[in-house]
Amino acid sequence: MNRAAAPQPAGSADASTASAADSPTASAADAPSAAAEPRPEAFVPKITVRGLNFYYGKAKALNDISLEIPENRVTAFIGPSGCGKSTLLRTFNRMFELYQDQHAQGQVILDGENILHSKSNIARIRSKIGMVFQKPTPFPMSIYDNIAFGIRLYEKLSRGAMDARVEGCLRQAALWDEVKDKLGQSGTSLSGGQQQRLCIARTIAVKPEVLLLDEPCSALDPISTAKVEEMIYQLKAEYTVVIVTHNMQQAARASDYTAFMYLGEVVEFDLTRKIFTAPREARTEDYITGRFG
Amino acid sequence: MISLYARRRAVNIVASSLMFAATCVGLFFLAWILWTTLEFGIAAMHWDLFTKDTPAPGDGGYGLRNAFVGSLILMAIALSIGVPVGLMAGTWLAEYGGRSRMAGLVRFVNDIMLSAPSIEIGLFTYAIMVDPMGHFSAISGGVALSILMIPIIVRTTDEMLKLVGGELREAAIALGAPMWQVVTRITWKAARAGILTGILISLARISGETAPLLFTALNNQFYSTDLRRPIANLPVVIFQFAMSPYANWQQMAWAAAFIAIVFILGISVCSRLLLRSGVKRT
Amino acid sequence: MDSSEAAVESKLPPAIEEPAAAGRGLSLPADFLFHKLAVFMAAVVGATLVAAVAAIGYDSLPAIKVFGVLGFLESRRWDPVSQQFGAYPFIVGTLVSSAIAMLLAVPVSFGVAVFISELAPGWIKQPISAAIEMLAAVPSIVYGLWGLLVFAPAFANLEPWINDHLGAIWGVGALFRGPPMGIGMLAAGIVLAIMILPYIASIMRDVFVATPARLKESAYAMGATTWEVARRILLPYTRTAVTGGIFLGLGRALGETMAVTFVIGNSNNLSRSLLMPGASIPSVIANEFTEATSKLYVSSLIYLGLVLIAITLVVQILAVFLLGSLRRAPGGTR
Repeated sequence: MNRAAAPQPAGSADASTASAADSPTASAADAPSAAAEPRPEAFVPKITVRGLNFYYGKAKALNDISLEIPENRVTAFIGPSGCGKSTLLRTFNRMFELYQDQHAQGQVILDGENILHSKSNIARIRSKIGMVFQKPTPFPMSIYDNIAFGIRLYEKLSRGAMDARVEGCLRQAALWDEVKDKLGQSGTSLSGGQQQRLCIARTIAVKPEVLLLDEPCSALDPISTAKVEEMIYQLKAEYTVVIVTHNMQQAARASDYTAFMYLGEVVEFDLTRKIFTAPREARTEDYITGRFG
Repeated sequence: MISLYARRRAVNIVASSLMFAATCVGLFFLAWILWTTLEFGIAAMHWDLFTKDTPAPGDGGYGLRNAFVGSLILMAIALSIGVPVGLMAGTWLAEYGGRSRMAGLVRFVNDIMLSAPSIEIGLFTYAIMVDPMGHFSAISGGVALSILMIPIIVRTTDEMLKLVGGELREAAIALGAPMWQVVTRITWKAARAGILTGILISLARISGETAPLLFTALNNQFYSTDLRRPIANLPVVIFQFAMSPYANWQQMAWAAAFIAIVFILGISVCSRLLLRSGVKRT
Repeated sequence: MDSSEAAVESKLPPAIEEPAAAGRGLSLPADFLFHKLAVFMAAVVGATLVAAVAAIGYDSLPAIKVFGVLGFLESRRWDPVSQQFGAYPFIVGTLVSSAIAMLLAVPVSFGVAVFISELAPGWIKQPISAAIEMLAAVPSIVYGLWGLLVFAPAFANLEPWINDHLGAIWGVGALFRGPPMGIGMLAAGIVLAIMILPYIASIMRDVFVATPARLKESAYAMGATTWEVARRILLPYTRTAVTGGIFLGLGRALGETMAVTFVIGNSNNLSRSLLMPGASIPSVIANEFTEATSKLYVSSLIYLGLVLIAITLVVQILAVFLLGSLRRAPGGTR
């Protein structure tokens, strides 16, 4: 699948940026004038990160991160273990707040508001940003209820409408045919790959705008991985996807944009094919070619 | 050289024989107790036990109905107080308290109460309920039993909830679920086998307890379901009947003891099955 | 940065550098209520200990006022008729019956635990463990019933032998002389020992089985016998947990009511012989509470309960100190 951007129509062409399509690299080394390549596609930032610092207790894990996540694209975060990619991902839905000693400073802007200290309902933010975790985590209830649980948090649907929604989500997750006869069975009775697709179905059931995937395939076998990657490709038409992965081939296959992180900083951010064929930074190239990792 | 080795071997043989003998002693007493309870208990079983109430001293009658009913009522009271308090306290420890100072204090106190002598619990309940009320009552008996149950339920709930992986909670939070729903609809459900086992264990613990009831619910010769009056119950009936000179009373004591043991063994089997099925599903 | 940044920037309120509020999503009233309910219940649990001691202490006050502390502890008279109450016989009874129980139960538990862990063939370990644990499931009232109606008569057959043979030993013989009643201090100690056996034995068995195999194997490989491994490897390695288990058994023995009440004979007089009836604090409270007629009588019984709390507290503190020093000394674990 050729992801080298064919010009994407409508949806993304947005007048919110006065000058369209600027190169959104985080590296300030980019020469301001002529070197900025005209993008063949429109880049609309869905999430803007500015000056983000993150602390585990006193230890600084993210250092002054600034980044833009494009809408309706798949963005991959890659980097060696401990570089902060999962940490960064988890600031987007304030998951770190569950833990007393984790703090974030700076701005993470979604739809014009800084969600890091938004006064509005955290549940509303989290319903806009869905997350799928490394380990499949089906809830201890039936497959049907797994999906319905999230929907019931926000909407009151009749039985028929709920049935339709559940079916729709399972179809989008490419799981419907496999489970349509056993919706009443426990979610834990499925195989690992099926469970993960169930988790994805459950996440999109609440109609988020952004999907955060934290190494979603690392616990899966190759065939399930392929199915999930294919699903991700379908999903980006409707959602903005950010995927953290330690598997570079997966990043190269499945994403449009890639951010390479190292030691808590974003070293380089660009179109995936550029990162993997002609990276600008030496560290990026070292990582890509396997000199360290 | 040889005599040293021979000596060591001899010591080992003697010691090992003693340890084998010790095990036999333990098993012997277990067999003796179970056998006599079975023997006298089964011999004393009769339909009248379930249909008639405890007879007056010396009138030769036969019946334990009020004691069975009374014990069930006491257990119901104990459960209705003990489960909410224990479940919520254990939930607070696992989900909110974590490693805070208060959590440490609560766990410490709970551990002490776990092995507190039941007679002290009985005196405590007497002091706070029976004395002010002016008379013994079923409700104070239920309260005393619940104080015995709560530490067990708190402990098992705390431990079982802690076993539920963080990813499950995070997944629910990521959907935007409020904390109370995450706890009640996800975490409790995931740990329900273990939590139920804890409740069953606490039930088994209180089903033979006599001392706390002696100072709270006491006993009642007649059939009564009035919570503000003393109520008949199996353990105190055994206490009174066993020490008596009447043959029919002593027989009924054995029958009651037999039923108590059957009940407790039944609960143990249930909780073991429950735990195994809960583990299988995860 | 770039012009796209500038465009976005113009829409935003001025950047405020502030750490995000470490909220836990407690935004709903339902969350608030649930949290408060949980805290409340936890606080109730935390308060029970203090409440118990306070309530029992409060109800003991009338007796404390009349008899004082030392006076009560030292007095040997327990006479409801003249309203004279003293705790000494019962303190002695509690301590003696528990001591007998521990002297019997600890070695037997050790034997059982080593047998299960080292000597028993694999297929028999589980059933024996389950059987020993079943002893713990038997409620104490059944122990009492069995003790009175089955064990005591049988023991009465043994007592003449004890009286004749052990009673003749110079010095300690007085401990073993008495009529063959079956019930009495020694009988109570024995029944108590059977009661606490499963608690101590299962803790010992758990830690013996959990001792790393490499430790045992390296000893066996050098030719050590089972007894030597048990004494020199298992016991030192697990001494903290074993001591904890022993104190747990002691705590149970001190507070046990029904098993003792049935078998101890319920005599409020101190006797030198173990074959004679006696009484412990729990047994006298259980026996006389419902018949206590006067306020002073009831208060004295509750005062006895307070004394028992003090005894168990002393034992707990001893345990903490002992366990602490065991943990710090080299060679063991935990």
